[in-house]
Amino acid sequence: MMDIPDIVANPILKSPRNQTRTVFSWTIIIKDCSWIVGLAILLGGVLNYTLLFDGIDGKLIAAIQQKQLTDLRQKAEQLYPGSSFINLVSSKKLYDDKLALFLDARTAPEYQSAHIYGAMSLPIRTLVQGDIQLDKVLPDKGALLITYCDGGECDIGLELAKELSERGYNNIFILGEGYPGWEAAGYPIEKAGMRQ
Amino acid sequence: MKLLHNEYLHLAVRLLIGGLFLYAGLPKIMDTMGFASSIYNYKLFSSLLIGLTAAFIPWVEVLAGLALVLGVKVRSAALIISLLLVVFVSLAAISAIRGLDIDCGCFSGVERKANWLAIYEDIALLGCSFFIFYLDQGIISPIALIKKINSPSKKDAIS
Repeated sequence: MMDIPDIVANPILKSPRNQTRTVFSWTIIIKDCSWIVGLAILLGGVLNYTLLFDGIDGKLIAAIQQKQLTDLRQKAEQLYPGSSFINLVSSKKLYDDKLALFLDARTAPEYQSAHIYGAMSLPIRTLVQGDIQLDKVLPDKGALLITYCDGGECDIGLELAKELSERGYNNIFILGEGYPGWEAAGYPIEKAGMRQ
Repeated sequence: MKLLHNEYLHLAVRLLIGGLFLYAGLPKIMDTMGFASSIYNYKLFSSLLIGLTAAFIPWVEVLAGLALVLGVKVRSAALIISLLLVVFVSLAAISAIRGLDIDCGCFSGVERKANWLAIYEDIALLGCSFFIFYLDQGIISPIALIKKINSPSKKDAIS
């Protein structure tokens, strides 16, 4: 009868070079994985219990949106001092009264897929490259303009507002919540192939 | 082929991957809300999943990275990191296909977009992680060195 190698009983062997080598064993690997993941769950759970409760209550997304808006405002203070933000309710009032022109700073395909109903596409990259003649598109430099992009960490709405301000437009607001915030509020939008 | 079994190469790859995951995980632990914000940008997860991911994943990254650096539970840590990288590659691929222009949230404070470049980089890291999983025995490591110093034969030799 053939001798059974010792590796079955003992997962640690000595190699010919007298070095300790471990033998491949899924049982040991899975057990060790459980230790690492278990410890991570314990530490993460204890140190982040408020975050976890917010996640369970469904409050986390609102908190994240608020944080992103605060971050954007802080960025605006550095990038474009004197910039003005407008909230969803105020912008909707101006929209209803037809007092403001909404400018979508995202790319043309993004605008075409979905945008605020009645908004004008003014991609920041196209504007900076000089592909748009601003005097023809926006002749009134005193018009009330509201720029927006994708909300969250998107800052091209802010960049568009800065660019317009540098070109002499003096009545610009930034909608920090962007298109996602407008859509989530149930305000009028236009999507590719449909109108709401 | 002999190079593949070189223990110093194993050590170098292990320190690279372990160090990278420590570097990625520690800032996320310091700024959990910032990491939660990055996960939210993918627009794929519910509030509950964002909370769970932001609370636990950075710790998994740090502990697995630390295990690789120290040379303990090497295969298990490499397996965990491989699984994480598979998830990261999948998420980045979904975002790239959807045309999202977002930060991947891989490293806090370092801008790295969830695009095809990030996917190729993560696939390379996945290759390194598989390499550790299959070939690395954790023979050269701080823990192995401490064990060697404290081993009875060494003590006898010193005395």
